Amino acid sequence: MLQRTNYLSSRYGVPDGHRIEAYLRDGGYEQAKRALGMPRKTLVDEVKAANLRGRGGAGFPMGVKWGFMPPEPKPGKPHYLVVNADEGEPGTFKDRTLMELDPHSTIEGCIIGAYGIGAHAAYVYVRDELHLSKARLWGAIEEARARGFLGPKPFGIDYTVEVYVHSGAGAYICGEETALLNSLEGKRGEPRMKPPFPAQAGAFGMPTTVNNLESIATLPTILKLGGEAFSKLSALHGMRDGGCRLFGVSGHVKTPGVFECAVGLTLRELVYDLGGGVAGGKLLAVIPGGSSTPILRHDELVDAPDPKAPLHPWHGQSVLDVPMGVDTFRGLGTMLGTCCAIVLSERACPVMAMHNLMRFYRHESCGQCTPCREGSGWLERTLDRIVGGAGTLEDLDRLHEIANNIMGNTICAFGEGTAMPALGFLRKFRREFEDFVRTHGASSPRNLAL
Amino acid sequence: MPSIKIDGRDVPFEPGDTVMRAAYRAGIEIPHYCWHPGLSSPANCRMCLVDILPPPGRPALRLDILEWSAEKNDYVVAQKSKLQPACYMQATDGMEVLSDTSDEVAKARAAIQELLLLNHPVDCPICDQAGECKLQDYWLLHQRSKKRMCDEPVHKPKAVVFGPTIVYDAERCVMCTRCIRVCDEVAQNPVLDMRERGNRNEITVAPGRQLDHGYSLMTEHVCPVGALTSSHFRFKARVWFLRSARTVCQECATGCNAHLDYDPRDNLPYRYRPRDNEAVNKYWMCDEGMLSYGRATAGRMLGAHVGGDDASIDEALHAAKDHLRGCDPARVAIVLSAQHSQEDNFALLTLGREYLGVTDVFVARRPDGLGDKVLRHVDKNPNGAGVKALVGGDGPRPLAELVAAAQKGRYSHVLALGHDVDVDVAALKSAFAGLTGSIVIASHDGPLTAALRVALPACAWTEAAGTYVNAQGMAQPTEQVLRPRGDARPGWELVARLGRALGFAIPWKTPKELARAMRGAAGSEPTHATAGAVAAEVAP
Ligand SMILES: Cc1cc2nc3c(=O)[nH]c(=O)nc-3n(C[C@H](O)[C@H](O)[C@H](O)COP(=O)(O)O)c2cc1C
Ligand code: SF4
Ligand code: SF4
Ligand code: FES
Repeated sequence: MLQRTNYLSSRYGVPDGHRIEAYLRDGGYEQAKRALGMPRKTLVDEVKAANLRGRGGAGFPMGVKWGFMPPEPKPGKPHYLVVNADEGEPGTFKDRTLMELDPHSTIEGCIIGAYGIGAHAAYVYVRDELHLSKARLWGAIEEARARGFLGPKPFGIDYTVEVYVHSGAGAYICGEETALLNSLEGKRGEPRMKPPFPAQAGAFGMPTTVNNLESIATLPTILKLGGEAFSKLSALHGMRDGGCRLFGVSGHVKTPGVFECAVGLTLRELVYDLGGGVAGGKLLAVIPGGSSTPILRHDELVDAPDPKAPLHPWHGQSVLDVPMGVDTFRGLGTMLGTCCAIVLSERACPVMAMHNLMRFYRHESCGQCTPCREGSGWLERTLDRIVGGAGTLEDLDRLHEIANNIMGNTICAFGEGTAMPALGFLRKFRREFEDFVRTHGASSPRNLAL
Repeated sequence: MPSIKIDGRDVPFEPGDTVMRAAYRAGIEIPHYCWHPGLSSPANCRMCLVDILPPPGRPALRLDILEWSAEKNDYVVAQKSKLQPACYMQATDGMEVLSDTSDEVAKARAAIQELLLLNHPVDCPICDQAGECKLQDYWLLHQRSKKRMCDEPVHKPKAVVFGPTIVYDAERCVMCTRCIRVCDEVAQNPVLDMRERGNRNEITVAPGRQLDHGYSLMTEHVCPVGALTSSHFRFKARVWFLRSARTVCQECATGCNAHLDYDPRDNLPYRYRPRDNEAVNKYWMCDEGMLSYGRATAGRMLGAHVGGDDASIDEALHAAKDHLRGCDPARVAIVLSAQHSQEDNFALLTLGREYLGVTDVFVARRPDGLGDKVLRHVDKNPNGAGVKALVGGDGPRPLAELVAAAQKGRYSHVLALGHDVDVDVAALKSAFAGLTGSIVIASHDGPLTAALRVALPACAWTEAAGTYVNAQGMAQPTEQVLRPRGDARPGWELVARLGRALGFAIPWKTPKELARAMRGAAGSEPTHATAGAVAAEVAP
């Protein structure tokens, strides 16, 4: 169900919308001030009621994650809030708009979030290349500090909050939360083994909550509306997938961009109503939420004959008509991920699309663990040969085997993030792959970009 | 004690143990590259994946994968277990682990092996690690399939000099980070790290630095493959020609347990390897110690001499007898050696005190040197504590006192063991110049052998079994490794022969008889029993 909302992006396009004056005009910082006056538990309960599923990709409920933190910091064990703005997932560009166009919602969210988890410092880890984002965040911090909203006594209330912007280390893997923590500490950006989880030992060994930047920037809206009312914006409120969020669409659409809508939008609405329809022919497939989420074909139907299956209401319908939710898309065998879709038109070659993605994963694997380091390289090499027209059916049959051996055998989710889309492409486009191999590429439109 | 089951076998564990450590304690091998008993667990190689059954009543975690069905001419969705790294999984009471009995585990091991060898040059014929390489061993045990990636492997730097002792080949490296962790965690000198990422990554030395800390050879020791080689052993031997004996390092009073690897064909030592002993050196040795195997051949006194001239052992014993006959025991000084074994020292002390009636006992030792908080002791002698225990009372007197007294003519004879001294060499020479008779039994040339008139060549620690008492008071046995060089004979045997030449009925003729005599003598018992020889011999 297409329902545009205007909470997170209301200042997008407003002249000087990134300045504090614009933010204050819209009632900015009132929720942070209110939060600092609440008992912590009331605040956490409010966030739990909002059913905000983490916007970073895994879709973990934000309130539940906060609940993993110790109730109060122990002496010598300060808590930290770490805001993940590494946004490296191919096809994903939503956090960037928040930082550039409305940085104050993030800063206000940091005050609320810090208080909610008992922290006094928030680190916003921003992807290195996003220079304007960093400048806008620093600008917002300075404006907020000048007004006394940050520092030792925000709004005159005795609860220190400081926000810092930290430049990323130029690697996709630094978006993985524990690699991010290592990088923040000045170490090599390699994911850590879990346990311990960040809530036990995170940044600098202290209890830490890592949230995506959009998750944090949504906090003022949650408090403004109230947790439950926020959740009920969503068509999937009943599946505990609440509120509104930023939807991105890019690739072969006529009007790519970021659109704020209530949760429950379908892929068809995203591609045709918001994205303006497919550019260059008909729709071939959609990668629903960033490159790590398995691709969906335009002609796929929902297969959920069991009346008890969560997707049963959509049984027999096109996958494009299923509301985009964390659990609904898991049910489809893919993931909602970052909720930023990549659209492929029929003029694009799926073999080359997979090759393109696997090149990315080979390049970005941190190289710590064997299956990902070597497996991602082998996938790329094999696809190199196939795309070069020299591949064999044996090569093709090796691809799923390599991906199977990465699956579940790695330190971090990058492994699955490589294997799952690989298996997705193979399964959905086996015919196209076979034709490509048999014809040495003659069957392919040989296009990726239009 | 709580326990887990590995392939149906009960394995007890201590709280905090991982599945890997519990297995290791029980002598069960779970294949591994990155795990080492003395280092932290990064769980990066993934060779140790095992299947951990869910607690009763709970469903197993299954993962969706794809398989190709020729019948359907399409992919079918299959499932596999979520395997766990044994080196990271905490053992919990009653946990059931499938290691060698699970097909899925076997498949995963074969897959990891294949991936590790994907870009490996497989240059075993010119690799020093061949014969003791985990890649080779595990290929035989867990893979046994041909190379399937036919593309040119990734090329990386080769023969990179990391420092004075270590050379690195990035193409052979499996990125297990053991070498990094040895520097960080054992040497406390974080000089190595990884650079680049993905399958281009490599180990590198911190900019502006060299791998030159005191434990640099431990990086090579822990490297499970041929990526790190040590400059002293590189291209020197094929390990399958080497034999190995258990010994104790002679470089300091810590008494690190070691394997001495030698080639029986040329009777030469080739290298030391640390021998695990939790109570002494854990899994490690320092560089000085590691390189000191060369002392088995270098600087040796290979023949007897009398007054500076070469002599046979019999001639030297004859001369020694002439020196000592009729001497006044009150004017004889016995010098024991903190560098020689308990056996040699016991023999000399017994001859001096019990047969000759001498009371004044001194000790020759190497001067103190640098120590550290890891292993290296400031006392650079392997058996100082042993000599002290043998002598009893206040222990032997320092050599400096003997030099001072000899200068004043207090002594007519010196009967000594050992070669190095912790006194001024010129003073030693001039003080001993006026002696009527002086005899030394020593394995190596040194100031002491130069200052005394009759010198008899003793076996080095490699050539005769012996006991050395370390600074902790632990008596640690060594095995005979090499055949004696030159005319060398065990020090205690030379003492016995000298005693017999002097007309005493010395009862010990064999090592066994000597050991019995030592057990019977008061004061010769070490403060506590040996832990040296009992450590596990499983290579980590
Ligand atoms: C390889 C990899 C890359 C990731 N990159 C990002 C990222 O760029 N931004 C982000 O917010 N989360 C990223 N994540 C997810 C984070 O690990 C983490 O789940 C998220 O920041 C939690 O925030 P949330 O609960 O608010 O979604 C990544 C995960 C993986 C495995
Ligand atoms: S799965 Fe890949 S990215 Fe994650 S730790 Fe392993 S090598 Fe690094
Ligand atoms: S050099 Fe050896 S010890 Fe170091 S990471 Fe490579 S394989 Fe491991
Ligand atoms: S030994 Fe467990 S992952 Fe390396």
